[in-house]
Amino acid sequence: MSQKLIDAITGMREEDALAITNELLDSGVAPVDILNACKEAMEVIGKRFESGESFIPELMLAGEMMSAISDVLKPRMAEEAATEKLGKIVVGTVQGDIHDIAKDIVSFMLDLNGFEVTDLGVDVPPAKFVEAVKQTGARIVGLSGFLTLAFDPMKETVAALKSAGLTDVKVMIGGGQIDENIRQYTGADAYGKDAMAAVAIAKSWA
Amino acid sequence: MFVRPDNWNKMSPLERRKARLDAWQDAPVQFASPEAEANYKERITRLRKIYDMQPHDRPIADPFMGANEYVARRKGIQGKDMVYNHEKLREPLLEFHRDFQPDVSVGMLPYPGKSWDLLDFKLYVWGGQKLPDNLVIQAVEGEYMRPDEYKDFIADPTAFWLKQYLPRAYSALGPLSMLADFPRISESVDTIDLLVPFGLPPFQEMLRTMMEAGNELMKVLGAVGQTMGMVTAEGFPGMGLNIVKTPFDYLGDTLRGTKGILMDMYRRPNDLLAACEAYVPVLVKSIVGASDRTNAPAALYVLHKGADAFMSQEQFEKFYWPTWKQVMLALYEEGITSYLFIEGSYNNRLENLAEMPEKSLVCHFDKTDMRRVKEVLSDKFIIAGNVPASLMSAGSVDEVRAYCDDLVGLFAGTPAYIMAHGCYFENTTDEKLRAFMDSVKN
Repeated sequence: MSQKLIDAITGMREEDALAITNELLDSGVAPVDILNACKEAMEVIGKRFESGESFIPELMLAGEMMSAISDVLKPRMAEEAATEKLGKIVVGTVQGDIHDIAKDIVSFMLDLNGFEVTDLGVDVPPAKFVEAVKQTGARIVGLSGFLTLAFDPMKETVAALKSAGLTDVKVMIGGGQIDENIRQYTGADAYGKDAMAAVAIAKSWA
Repeated sequence: MFVRPDNWNKMSPLERRKARLDAWQDAPVQFASPEAEANYKERITRLRKIYDMQPHDRPIADPFMGANEYVARRKGIQGKDMVYNHEKLREPLLEFHRDFQPDVSVGMLPYPGKSWDLLDFKLYVWGGQKLPDNLVIQAVEGEYMRPDEYKDFIADPTAFWLKQYLPRAYSALGPLSMLADFPRISESVDTIDLLVPFGLPPFQEMLRTMMEAGNELMKVLGAVGQTMGMVTAEGFPGMGLNIVKTPFDYLGDTLRGTKGILMDMYRRPNDLLAACEAYVPVLVKSIVGASDRTNAPAALYVLHKGADAFMSQEQFEKFYWPTWKQVMLALYEEGITSYLFIEGSYNNRLENLAEMPEKSLVCHFDKTDMRRVKEVLSDKFIIAGNVPASLMSAGSVDEVRAYCDDLVGLFAGTPAYIMAHGCYFENTTDEKLRAFMDSVKN
């Protein structure tokens, strides 16, 4: 039965996925088992994305399905299943850049892969990243930037973290025009070309 | 203004293309000096040979992707000045042309900040408004067409734009929603429906605001027109481009938002396909009209959501490519060249582009593999690109030079190549920009 749910999610059958979730609940399947099936489905989609079989529409639609299913499950779950988190990450689009689509996908994939994500939104000044890292105790920061004007704010954010004494915090960057040149320029520890790369980097640091 | 020759209806697409390029090349210019005239003629002749894919002495370098911002930055001019104080950019722009002697002029973008303020434009934020003063503009995505409104758009794109989209995108244009449905204005009494809104105070107030915004726009166009006239007079021709997008990108960028349209591919694919189809004749008519008015021989597509990472090849071939191709073919029939600025990577789409007729395209790449580009497209089309913005920003002068030299070498045996950036570079140094420009002159 759970396989039916996995197939519906990976087959991008949004309505079926929600209907099957309700059927599973009605037949007495524990919400936590349904969540595990969702995670399994997302792993399949993530792998397809990595291998170039799935693309942004599939990640987004999967995100929509996860959100709808979790809305159904939450009221039924006595308490949030205590899952072990891999680590804390602060994520945001850097100052001066208001683009959120790629950053949202990265946040979603990190969350799904077991990280506790603090998403600071867009146009985030360096000081706000520093403050969030201090508050959450995160050891990883993800900086997003779509425009070329994001290069300097990324560099400033990396510098601000260092000068605040947060030298053991690892920083990864990503965005349309980000490459190894910009990683070196900003002083970041790594760059990722897409959301799955961000997950792989974060896992290697966790 | 492009005037069609009398035998237009008997001309082939390539003959029409030649007529448009002739009109662009021969447009009268008042030159600042005989030397400027000689330089202009040398430059536009070379550019014309590139458009024609005919043998010429060397490639050209066109820094237009970002040069505008860099011209301002290198003189300490704020982003907000590019939106509000267009005269401030005149001297820096002229100085830039005198210093760098580019093969093609760097155009000044007439962002009408005061008009946007008056109309309360929602699709962008800009320096001096909601962005800090040092920044220029950024797009703000929103959902300007609800999913259930696809049927309205498909039935009549122009009416949807006028009565539903514009009132949402510009707060001050809300009263446009009161307009009559024009095709029903027929009988004597229908004049009443036509005119009622014009007699009502909110509509009249809107008209006054539009006139004020129009007056502000004229000041901007006057300032920018004067500046670009001076640039041309000093010997620098432009590429002659009008800006356009694909049906899918218009729907995605402007009406549904990225997430909205990508979800529509699954949730309402037939509506999306029908909307793309409905866009085709509207776009073709509009671009042909603009090309006639401005005497520009090419249409510049800023391509967004069809890139490799955005969708699968199957999705591209179902949703993105067919109606875009229809638009480009219709323009080709009218003698208009499609200049494609291809953001991101298009490694999977090159064979699609290759379906287009010879000389119908200029293909300007960002992150696409230029070796494959050469192999698949360089015999048929003009190729441009793809110096990375990251290199212009963070690379050394030697690295920029080496990258450009490699491109020049790669395209040495091909009919037509334009050295260009892959993306807006914004931040660089004069030395790096000079290395970029000089790479084609060795």
